[in-house]
Amino acid sequence: MVEKKITVINRLGLHARAAAQLVRLAAGFQSKIIVRRCDTNVFADAKSILSVLTLAAAKGTELMLAIDGTDESGAMAAVEQLFLSGFGEM
Amino acid sequence: MQFDITDQSPKISVERFLELSSETLQLSILAGSAGLKDRKISSSRIQKLGLALAGFAHYIHEGRIQIVGQSEIAYLNQLEIEKRHEALRNLDLDKICCILVTKGLKPPRELLEIAEDRSLPVIQTADVSSLAINEVTKFLGEILAPRVTIHGVLMGLYGVGVLMLGDSGIGKSECALDLISRGHRLISDDSVLIKKIGGSLEGSSPELTREHLEIRGLGILNIRDLFGISAVGKCKKIELIIEFVKWEDAGEIDRVGLEISKHEVFGVRVKKFKLPVSVGRNLSTLVETAVRVFLINLSGGNAARDLIEKHSELLTKDENAK
Repeated sequence: MVEKKITVINRLGLHARAAAQLVRLAAGFQSKIIVRRCDTNVFADAKSILSVLTLAAAKGTELMLAIDGTDESGAMAAVEQLFLSGFGEM
Repeated sequence: MQFDITDQSPKISVERFLELSSETLQLSILAGSAGLKDRKISSSRIQKLGLALAGFAHYIHEGRIQIVGQSEIAYLNQLEIEKRHEALRNLDLDKICCILVTKGLKPPRELLEIAEDRSLPVIQTADVSSLAINEVTKFLGEILAPRVTIHGVLMGLYGVGVLMLGDSGIGKSECALDLISRGHRLISDDSVLIKKIGGSLEGSSPELTREHLEIRGLGILNIRDLFGISAVGKCKKIELIIEFVKWEDAGEIDRVGLEISKHEVFGVRVKKFKLPVSVGRNLSTLVETAVRVFLINLSGGNAARDLIEKHSELLTKDENAK
């Protein structure tokens, strides 16, 4: 399992369209991808849109990613890249 | 893979407590409003100030609401003014988060003065102590409950709260939709908020996604619009967990039904069935049947045990006949 802390940097936060991008990306990997808000006990499955929306992650929210599976390092790099790119908004 | 759930006990400011309880408890503030933001309530249990006023203040717990009722007020009132001041000064006021005066009583002026001076909120309710204690404890128990939001689907079947777990894409939401069309209730899809209240787990939906379900190919659905009010529910005690697993990951499966497995959340153990998923297995019928098994077990029935007993009897009979 790999873990990493990331911050939501795009202006609109993890809004519906961004969440959909994340879900689509996550679904392409075999690994299980869990996202947790660092400030609460809210866990989401990155492959489920409603679950990701529940995070209500605005700009600046810190999230902990935990990825477990055969393609975990590739998945981590891809997800991190998506967050760093600001979901194509920047 | 599972995250460690931290058993963080939430704290709330007295101000937030007053805001949240405005509908249910009807509290008013008498003094010390400067301390509303900084003073925090961290326990749902209350204390009666009682003996602490008589000088025995060892057991005052920080973070608990201190109740002042008729006996405390009568005690203070019968003291001479100097003694009354002394009794109040002897309390460690920084350790008290707030004082709740019950029965709409008027506390002694000295109490209000010292509270105002030290920014200690004094609030008042019209209810008598016993009722106020019940109400406040129940209310705080709910808002201070340890909580976690996890990935899963919560439904109500035959009055039982059933939490369905399993990897994304395994068919939880499709199963939920099937169960809804058979007349069962959706509490929450994809994301379930679990609170530990007393010795049990209460599940509900995060406000945002309440009454919604996502189905691949159809998108996000509003279940109340599509199926009506009886197809949705707000919260449910979680009594049974069903975990869907891929057939190849299922490992050893109990074929008889005598093994009871349990799933633990916040130290509460809930009965769990592990259901392997494969083509041709109708998940909703399996879930419905699992709940029927759960219910019959509750009332003492156990098919596996009965059959095995009968079988053993048969074997001993054969043995005796020889």
